[in-house]
Amino acid sequence: MSAFWYYVFTLVFFLFDYFILAMGLNIQYGETGILNFAYIGFVAIGAYMTGVAGMPNAGTSGQHYILGLNLPFPINLIIGGLSASALAFLVALITLRRLRTDYLAMVLISLSLVLYDISNNFIPLFNGADGLYNVPEPFASALKLTTNSFVPFFAGVAGVVALILWFFMSRITRSPLGRTLRAIRDDPTVASALGKGVFRYQLTSMLVGSFYAGVGGGLLIQFGGSFNPTAWLPGETFVIFAVIIVGGVGNNVGMLVGALVVETLLIHLPAFLPAIPGHPGLIEYIDTMVIGVVLMIMLWFRPQGIVPERVRRSKFLLPDFAPSGGGAVITPTGPAIPTEEAAGAGPPFFIEEKDV
Amino acid sequence: MTSTGQSMSSPDAFSESILSCENITKSFLGVNALNGATFDVPKNKITALIGPNGAGKTTLVNILSGAMKSDSGTTHLGSVDVTNLESYKIARMGLMRTFQLSRELGGLTVLENLLVAPKVQAGESLFNIFLRPRLLQREERQNIERATEILATYGLYELRDNRARELSGGQKKLLEISRGVMAAPTVFLLDEPMAGVNPALIDRIAGYILDMKRQGMTVLMIEHNLNVVEKICDFVIVLAEGKTLATGRLSELRANPEVVQAYLGEVISAGTTN
Repeated sequence: MSAFWYYVFTLVFFLFDYFILAMGLNIQYGETGILNFAYIGFVAIGAYMTGVAGMPNAGTSGQHYILGLNLPFPINLIIGGLSASALAFLVALITLRRLRTDYLAMVLISLSLVLYDISNNFIPLFNGADGLYNVPEPFASALKLTTNSFVPFFAGVAGVVALILWFFMSRITRSPLGRTLRAIRDDPTVASALGKGVFRYQLTSMLVGSFYAGVGGGLLIQFGGSFNPTAWLPGETFVIFAVIIVGGVGNNVGMLVGALVVETLLIHLPAFLPAIPGHPGLIEYIDTMVIGVVLMIMLWFRPQGIVPERVRRSKFLLPDFAPSGGGAVITPTGPAIPTEEAAGAGPPFFIEEKDV
Repeated sequence: MTSTGQSMSSPDAFSESILSCENITKSFLGVNALNGATFDVPKNKITALIGPNGAGKTTLVNILSGAMKSDSGTTHLGSVDVTNLESYKIARMGLMRTFQLSRELGGLTVLENLLVAPKVQAGESLFNIFLRPRLLQREERQNIERATEILATYGLYELRDNRARELSGGQKKLLEISRGVMAAPTVFLLDEPMAGVNPALIDRIAGYILDMKRQGMTVLMIEHNLNVVEKICDFVIVLAEGKTLATGRLSELRANPEVVQAYLGEVISAGTTN
């Protein structure tokens, strides 16, 4: 396979992977209004746990890490997703009941930094700053895949996983649960006054979104074969925010578009460009600036994103539903007021002055 | 039962009490918003909560609905002690409320605003979404049918697919009330439902409130429009300086010098009734 196609399939993999990551952040922020600034931390937990679930016992690898279960794909990937959800459960229990959006965001940024420091410095956990490497490539030996042939193969695997997760996410966001999450996003006080236990729904959103983060992280570590703290600097969270803002907050299709524009075209495509002579690494810095400019342009001119959140029209809620009488015969009139004034004699009685 | 030391009519004269509060106090940074409010709301009647601005009416509605915790005192919904219970738990027991300034769920359509309202929905469970799709569809169909009927009644049917944030002020008032009705509450607290709406709409909203009573609901409404209070309310609670000043029919209260001095006098001297 030529280098060109190698790069193309690498970009395709990142497209699908960030589509998954964006869907996870979208249900938390776009659908429920949880400003999860620690999102990359959940991605990292998923990556590490997928890695250690799939790697052999640490004693044989020369690295230091927990577990080493030697489990096959996709069981290790599911463990990665569930681990991220388990962390989300703990975080939600501590933070979501007490904190409002802005304070919650600050606490989550702190959490992200703490997770980063722990993984970077506590070597027995995930091999410290060196991170995990020699992570098994799924099906590589069974299918006798070379390094070159593994890339398109695993891009396809990521595509299948993304398709499955997109199906599940669509079912959730189109359901009454998705509607309630959006109600909580719009006004949690009103949602609570309507009998919705806001914490329970926010917790559900955190668990589902973090599972997606974990799976996305799990695919990352298996694609690259390694993962260390430089791969998930806390600022990476904002790249995923850029994906969902550019794509269209609250729209799953927008997540795919956002992943294409931000992750594939703006981040990874320039990485394959030849370096500017005399200025190695300059493209990377320009790249970061371009993302910032694109984000500002979007927020200024099209805050709803390229593919805005769609209006769920009544005919789409239940395609075969027609209101009783076909809708047109339902005359919008208020109930009669049992007074003679309301019967039409004289002026509207509620505005007449009365002696008190 | 009320026990403020004032001469007050009892709701027993009408029917049994369904919502009651006793000696409710609430202060904000040392300022007493409520100072021992005590009253009973009669079942299946329309009760007005009136009083001067700053009397603590909205604070009281917030406490009754669980949106705010009281410093002391008790509240009961029926025979259940709901003191300082979380608002969603009180709502699930059948108490709905509206807000002084309409609070629509702006990103949702008008129809979706109503579809959120049913308190417990099978479709809000992950398990049911994936494993019981037929149950979801059946439930959704029933809810859409009911929501459609309510929207038609409230004159919002044609706006069903508009985002709620696009509605006018009066339409938002109607949406908020109809959303509460969709939840089929036992007790409905309305915080100034007529505020800022045109006279014709006041007329309609008053009709809707009477209709709620016909459907068996109990309504407690904060209202400054005494013509409305006189026409549709069976019972009136006067709140002043955080305390229950008097309760009874409006005609009785007009003869009460304290009520006239604290509230009704203001209205008369101001030359307005709304």
